[in-house]
Amino acid sequence: MSAVPGLCVLAALAAAALVADRTVTVAAIALGLLAACLQAPRRRRWPYLVGTVFSALFLFVLSPLLGSYGGLVIWDGPSVPVLGRLDVTDEELWTALYQALRLAAVGFAFAAYALLLDHDQLLQSAGKLRRSVLAVALATRLVPSLERDAAGFVEALRGRGVVVEGVRGRARLLSPLLAGSLERSLNLAESMEARGFGRPGRTSVPRPAWTPFERLTVAGAVAIFLGALLWL
Amino acid sequence: MALARIERLTYSYPGAAQPALEDVSLTVEEGEVVCVLGPSGGGKSTLLRALAGLVPHFHGGSFAGKVEVAGLDTRRHRPAELAGGVASVFQDPEDQVVLTGVAAEVEFGLENVGVPPAEIQVRALAALDLVSSRGLAERRAQELSGGELQRVCLASALALEPELLLLDEPTSQLDPDAVGPILDAACEGRAVVISEQRPGPVLERCDRVLFVDGGRIVLDASREEALAWLAGHRPLYLRKLQGVTKNDGFGSDLTAVVNLDEVTYAYGGRHAVGPADLELQHGEIVALVGPNGSGKTTLAKLAAGLLEPQSGRATIRGRTGYLSQDPGRYLVSERADEEVALGVDGDLARARRALGDVGLTGLDARHPRDLSSGERERLALAAVLVIEPDVLILDEPTRGVDPERKAELAALLEAGRGGRATLVVTHDPVFAADVADRTVDLTPQAELAYA
Repeated sequence: MSAVPGLCVLAALAAAALVADRTVTVAAIALGLLAACLQAPRRRRWPYLVGTVFSALFLFVLSPLLGSYGGLVIWDGPSVPVLGRLDVTDEELWTALYQALRLAAVGFAFAAYALLLDHDQLLQSAGKLRRSVLAVALATRLVPSLERDAAGFVEALRGRGVVVEGVRGRARLLSPLLAGSLERSLNLAESMEARGFGRPGRTSVPRPAWTPFERLTVAGAVAIFLGALLWL
Repeated sequence: MALARIERLTYSYPGAAQPALEDVSLTVEEGEVVCVLGPSGGGKSTLLRALAGLVPHFHGGSFAGKVEVAGLDTRRHRPAELAGGVASVFQDPEDQVVLTGVAAEVEFGLENVGVPPAEIQVRALAALDLVSSRGLAERRAQELSGGELQRVCLASALALEPELLLLDEPTSQLDPDAVGPILDAACEGRAVVISEQRPGPVLERCDRVLFVDGGRIVLDASREEALAWLAGHRPLYLRKLQGVTKNDGFGSDLTAVVNLDEVTYAYGGRHAVGPADLELQHGEIVALVGPNGSGKTTLAKLAAGLLEPQSGRATIRGRTGYLSQDPGRYLVSERADEEVALGVDGDLARARRALGDVGLTGLDARHPRDLSSGERERLALAAVLVIEPDVLILDEPTRGVDPERKAELAALLEAGRGGRATLVVTHDPVFAADVADRTVDLTPQAELAYA
């Protein structure tokens, strides 16, 4: 299957997770997308999955503490300056779970886009949106690039007897990672300019026509979104 | 009429105290192959960027003089407008790959310059053929070795069928056997300006030689005149492989400090190396050579203890030091001396001595990212040497290093050989012959052999 129908399905599932009312529906979508992400190689998938799960958990833990609604108090905590009284109600918990699952579903959909789709195909199909699609594709590559750079830094440090341990050890790599990323993006931009990017009159490799299955997939993606909007 | 003409060009990068190019004049005729030599930081890359129009459009800075390429004034025409007629390959292949797939990467430039759609794939595959890399077409660029990536970048430039090809150290990561045929393909029927730090193969093919130092063209002469000038003034640029060396510099009382026995390693199911054997003895210097993708870096990392063999046994006695082929990995701290001191618990006195040993005296307080590429190479070397390892492993330490610095590095390794075993991964046969007591060859079908 080409990348465009795949992207349509992922976008439809992410949108469905955002518009669906029932927590169980959102949970099912999130789990389905997680299962798709697990098809990617372990070495590539972990930053996306860890990032998504961590963000969703953070939202799940924090939002009940900061919210103040619902009747049945499950935990009554201390009063904190600025934030006020910390307590957790059953309604806050359910809402937090729902929001965390929505965030997880969107995160997993992005992870599946980054890990499983052929970005070159998307770019070739982008037509007039080519510049924007390329920008997104390059931004998507930032995560694996940073991961490779981080591994390179750690390896080079190990190669001179320095062991990188703990959060503090890894945190000191953030600044060089960012600086390296900026340096690389400048070099890449220079290379693109030298290769004629942005010049008028561009052409593209002829694309094969969509198969009936791919057309059906796009129709299915539309159906998923409408179904979630109307019935879920 | 000249294909490219530079008239009295003086150029400074933004914020630079000294001009990178000063009063440079030059013409390149159609079909002419021009070899650009000179020390690291001398202005070779800037000269190529000026011909591509990237200086001043992309880099800014102050620009005086005139550059015309194919009749277009580079001050009025952006590099993207020159693309197609002019194609560039830059030093670091890792930083110029835009797309994910190799075939799409080669097609990228063709699409940008408006090649008819029916021709794009044909020309892309033909260009990959020219660099003997058709088999890479379906691979992901991120999976390729440095040498394979360099071939892809060359293919991307050759696919454009430019009138003027600008190559900045395009063979620094290619195995020696591949360099000749690839240069022949690059130089076929077009003007080429090529900067190289392994000048031998280029000097055999060029019509003219420039020597650029301190931002000025010190020599602009025909090949024959240039060879005579180099022999008198810069003989290290004419070093050639002169048979198997050497060396009785280490004693007979040898102790094996690294033993790799039938080791294998694969990255995510893709075979990288082995089963392979390797032994390193205290006091010797060993060169590890082989074609691109043959597993040299992986074997070096196994010898350094950075990777665990997936089968077989690795025995390492003593402390190892490993120099990565990317000096950008040694830019963690804010000062050069602090960077080097990371490996010795912050001992700045030792770090400064190590900086002095590699010729970086006085640069202690500089931010590592403010150093030139050649200085970064030496900083990385200092960061590894300072730990005084029992096993020193250097992965491509001469990439982008000029012949005079290579000679200094060889002398440095020779001076310290008594205190350690040294493994040098290299594509540079002259350097290997200079420093190594023996060579281990990973060419497929060749056994790990003592040359």
